[in-house]
Amino acid sequence: MDSHFAQRRRRDLIMAGCFTVLAALAPLFVKDVYVQNIMVLTLMYAALSQSWNILSGYCGQISLGHALYFGLGAYTTALLFTKFGVLPWFGMLAGGAISAVIAMALGYPCFRLRGHYFVIATIVIAEIALLLIQNWDWAGAALGIDIPVRGDSWLKFQFTRSKLPYFYFALALACVAWFVTWWLEDSKWGFWWRAVKDNPDAAESLGVVVFNSKMGAAAVSAFLVAVGGSFYAQFVSYIDPESVMGFQFSLLMALPAVLGGIGTLWGPVLGAVILIPLTELTRSFVGGSGRGVDLIVYGALIVAISLALPRGLVSVFSLRKGAAR
Amino acid sequence: MTAPLETPLLETRGVWQRFGGLVANSDVSISVGRGEIVGLIGPNGAGKSTLFNLIAGVLPPTQGSIIFDGEDVTKLPAAERCQRGVGRTFQVVKSFETMTVIDNVIVGALIRNTKMRIARQKAYEVLEFCGLAARAEKLAADLVPSEKRRLEVARALATEPKLLLLDEVLTGLTPVEAQTGVELVRKVRATGITVLMVEHVMEIVMPLVDRAIVLNLGKVLVEGKPTEVVRNPEVITAYLGDRHAVGA
Repeated sequence: MDSHFAQRRRRDLIMAGCFTVLAALAPLFVKDVYVQNIMVLTLMYAALSQSWNILSGYCGQISLGHALYFGLGAYTTALLFTKFGVLPWFGMLAGGAISAVIAMALGYPCFRLRGHYFVIATIVIAEIALLLIQNWDWAGAALGIDIPVRGDSWLKFQFTRSKLPYFYFALALACVAWFVTWWLEDSKWGFWWRAVKDNPDAAESLGVVVFNSKMGAAAVSAFLVAVGGSFYAQFVSYIDPESVMGFQFSLLMALPAVLGGIGTLWGPVLGAVILIPLTELTRSFVGGSGRGVDLIVYGALIVAISLALPRGLVSVFSLRKGAAR
Repeated sequence: MTAPLETPLLETRGVWQRFGGLVANSDVSISVGRGEIVGLIGPNGAGKSTLFNLIAGVLPPTQGSIIFDGEDVTKLPAAERCQRGVGRTFQVVKSFETMTVIDNVIVGALIRNTKMRIARQKAYEVLEFCGLAARAEKLAADLVPSEKRRLEVARALATEPKLLLLDEVLTGLTPVEAQTGVELVRKVRATGITVLMVEHVMEIVMPLVDRAIVLNLGKVLVEGKPTEVVRNPEVITAYLGDRHAVGA
């Protein structure tokens, strides 16, 4: 039975390796810039949703305010680069670290709340942060920050001629987020988080310090999301508060995981691969006049999935493989 | 680390618990010796579960102190008490429903073993001890009630407790299941673990325990050998009302 478990872990790792290779080869066949753009976004959201899933899926603390960490990552990188000339690579780490610290500072009061109250707190805090940034003149206020283009370079992480470097970075980010989750799944933290989600009282009675477990999950989750935000700032090279910290980002991080299977290893990836291209395609087919139609489409999709497969799309696959999850 | 053997493993000293105007425990002083099986009994609302929660560290007592293994643990939270060797089950089972049976037990085993491989192995041994090994890969949600009860015990045992608190683990089981449960408790004691059990069903507990403590209206009514306790007129009154105590 021990080998049974080890087998599943190994199978997951091999599958991830295969998908990575396939994804890495994709640009050889896909030359269309528009499609490449969708691929970058899909990978980015897969990474973001995977990170969101650590706190909300595994540890069960549903956050609808992760746009805060996404925005913090984007703003830290952009501000450090434009104001102090710090390279985006350092900005990325700084943004991650700042987000992790802020996640814990916010978690300190918020993790005492349970259920809906916690969700509401996350939404409100992210909205407050959005308002603060909108009124912070030094950080560009509502106008945002234009990241000056200084030519293609890996050092400055800027590419004007091709989207491919962004594509490979997004792929790497998705791999890192996946691998961190894979690794945590079979660690003390992973077990503690799932126990906290299922029954905090029972967890506490078994020696799990529930509060610290939540803090740990929040820090890891916020760090990775902020790295995603840093990447996004470089990718679009212009950020304003609404475009990196708006509520829609919080939703777009949660939805792939919810659709694919919350608290599962493959759920966020599967969800992102379906949801993001769908969103982008609907948006372009319907055109500018039909703003919000994409939201209607995947709103309907979410309703359908939650009625037919409440445990997410991954449950289709695990059913076929029998009882072993 | 461990206190001398002659001191009791657990002591409550003048413990009070008030919930607003309600006094759930008043001046409860009990002690549990090393290696004993002690039954905590009493009618509904006697304050058994409250006392249990105070010992497990779910909430601090309003007044009084709790001494475990020679140390004052009154102010320690539940997780810290588990670390020191208090394991417990819940009256209303609290399995980790979305996790497999083995994963449920691993959570308990992780407190003493930081290596996953060893924790998994330990969890598997505990499942075998509790007769649940065949169900290891099932989801906890798919277990039948009697198995869930045993899973509670298995999870607590995986934390390697010195004192195991069993909250009505035998209640609501069929006679055959209850008998299996009784044997499990005996097996647990045989490994050197002290057991304090809250129980409702007198005929099951009495042959099992070395000593019984009867709570009524939040106070210790009597304590002693099970055979003496069941004949005590005060106990009969508490359980059955005044009429039945006549001529007891």
